[in-house]
Amino acid sequence: MKKLAIAAMSFCMVFLAACGSAGNNEAVNDKAANEGNKETATNAAQEETKPEEDAKPVKLRIYAQYADDDTKLPYDYAVAELKKEMPNVELELEVQAQDDGQKLKTYAATGNLPDIFQAGLDIITTFKKSGNILELDSYVDELGFKDKMFPSTMNTLVADDGHTYAFPYAGNEFVLLYYNKELFEQNNVKVPTTYDELMTAVTTFNAAGITPMSIFAKEKWPTVALFDMFVTRNEPQGILKLDKGQASVSDPAYKEAADKIIELVKAGMLPKGATNLNYDQAAALFHQGKAAMFLNGQWEIAESTKQLGDKAGWMYFPGKDAANYEASKYAFSGGGGPGGYAVNPDTKDKDLTAKVAAFLSLKYAEYKYTERANPLVSTKVDKAIVTEYPPMMKQLSDDIAKITSTTSFAWGLSDAKFKAAIEDASQSLMTGAYSAEQFIEDVSKAVPAAK
Amino acid sequence: MNKFLGNKTAILLFILPALLLYTVMVFYPIVQTFFRSMYEWDGLSEGTFIWFDNYTRLFQDSLFFTSLKNGLIFAVIITVTQIGIGSILAFAVADAKFKGRKILRISFFIPVVLSITVVCQLWLSIYNGEYGLINKIFEAIGLEYKQDWLTSSKSAIIAIAFVNAWQYMGYHFALLLAGVKSVPEQYMEAARIDGATKLQAILKINIPMMAETYKFCLVFAITGGLNAFANMYIMTSGGPGTSTYTLTYLMYRSAFRVGEFGYGSAAAAILVIECLIATLIINRLIARERISY
Repeated sequence: MKKLAIAAMSFCMVFLAACGSAGNNEAVNDKAANEGNKETATNAAQEETKPEEDAKPVKLRIYAQYADDDTKLPYDYAVAELKKEMPNVELELEVQAQDDGQKLKTYAATGNLPDIFQAGLDIITTFKKSGNILELDSYVDELGFKDKMFPSTMNTLVADDGHTYAFPYAGNEFVLLYYNKELFEQNNVKVPTTYDELMTAVTTFNAAGITPMSIFAKEKWPTVALFDMFVTRNEPQGILKLDKGQASVSDPAYKEAADKIIELVKAGMLPKGATNLNYDQAAALFHQGKAAMFLNGQWEIAESTKQLGDKAGWMYFPGKDAANYEASKYAFSGGGGPGGYAVNPDTKDKDLTAKVAAFLSLKYAEYKYTERANPLVSTKVDKAIVTEYPPMMKQLSDDIAKITSTTSFAWGLSDAKFKAAIEDASQSLMTGAYSAEQFIEDVSKAVPAAK
Repeated sequence: MNKFLGNKTAILLFILPALLLYTVMVFYPIVQTFFRSMYEWDGLSEGTFIWFDNYTRLFQDSLFFTSLKNGLIFAVIITVTQIGIGSILAFAVADAKFKGRKILRISFFIPVVLSITVVCQLWLSIYNGEYGLINKIFEAIGLEYKQDWLTSSKSAIIAIAFVNAWQYMGYHFALLLAGVKSVPEQYMEAARIDGATKLQAILKINIPMMAETYKFCLVFAITGGLNAFANMYIMTSGGPGTSTYTLTYLMYRSAFRVGEFGYGSAAAAILVIECLIATLIINRLIARERISY
């Protein structure tokens, strides 16, 4: 019995000890739980300061320009900055094809649109109708993007319908007529301020065996730009007015421009086979001192400075006469429009993708401004300039405030049918075997009704 | 054999894979093209059914007639050059007495295997107005005949057609050479015994007996000419202006540059009909009876 009592007592003690130990464990567990909570709380606090560090890895497809230093370097910089800001985001780049947006439209048609893509006005207009582009108004407000824009570049953020479809980085860019100062001096040619002086320059350079003006007219936009430059002497809105259906191509400003180009082309203003020259061939003529003038956008400043140094300059476009020259001196051809990094509405995480798109555009502009000596960006940059402006850019930068009007590049035109027609007809003008009447007939069919 | 032909299930089973492929890859897209040509459609949105409005517009569009004319010019040039010169070369190389036959046979075919981009780039250099080979030759022999071959709206389409003719002449040459060789030797021998000259034998025996081969070459050359796109896309981008547009280029412009896929489909539909008519006419006129040796 005693044995039984001892056994029972021992059992009870073991049981109690077990219970006691269980209680201690619970306390330990509680403590551990508290510690755990503390750790979780600490993690939460850390996440608040570095929200993306422990976030789930995300891979986004991006379709962007990546062709030369002017597009590769800013993109690489933006991606490197993104890695610091959002290390969990990985971008899978697909290089944008120079194909009038065909590939992108095919992607959209097949439901294979990248998460982020570069969009110009043409893509925005088309994708808006088909629902392939995300309206970014709420993100613009949320990210305070409007505050980061220059007031003068607001046209690159907001489309005609008042909405935002892409985060822009490029500001309003311009077409410039570059010239080789040395060739002008050597041949005693005055930098033309009037059409007559331009004709004198053309005949003098031709006589000296120098190509008066080089243009890469195989690409059609420079031919539209040249036509537009002539138009802006009389009509500051240039081709933009036709695009909006607010003018007729038979109006005197447009007809005179076509007539003047034909006259100059017949006099030998352009190199042989101009409509078949690509950028490399046309630029080589100018850079090697074989052509006195060269038409391109302001982005050519860097390359011309590199190739020709101080010999290169840009001129105000000549006018009909001295008075017209002065009056239209700051009516620039070119301009900007809505465009930049756009977002696929079917992307998995719209908020994140929009945030990435906005971040990329800001950083892209930052690099162009600080490292590529390009002040023509759409967003404000608070970092110091690393690469000083070359003299031609300084001249342009000083003039920006004086510019009275801008027009549009061919790719900034909103009406695709008009764009194709003016591109084809302007290129025909460069042959000299195309009359102003034919030009008017071909373009007028495509000029849209007034909007 | 009769037993096999009587087994309809077996026939169906054997035909089905090819039929399915043909339907999916050829027939369905053609039907879609005709169907979509009746839509006002940007390629992305739903589109609006507009019956034959695209065709009405097309027949009022001067660019359509420019494209049609260029397609015909292109087809005529390549047909005449490829089949004409191809025939001369084939008859020459088929002659046992002709020296260097083997090397010429290979040489004529080399351009065919080159990429069209390479060939176009090569000819772009040859045609260059400033430093091109042709102008340099004129300059070297003292001729003041420098031409802007690709930038003149009149000569550009001819210059481009010649590039295509040069590249694919070897293809027609190979077909025609095979045709020449398939004509039994005894016919030629009989002609020789009867006192026929070489030229007479070619004209009276070879060519008529090669009617099937010529029919095949004609269909290829003419439809290839009407369909031309790559050469002008690479060499002139349809320019200067629209002077080297063909129907295929018009289709490309409408669909991809202007975003009018319906209108582009109408141009494509006309092109399909045009090629079909050309093929039917050739089939109707040439080698109506099968020649067996």
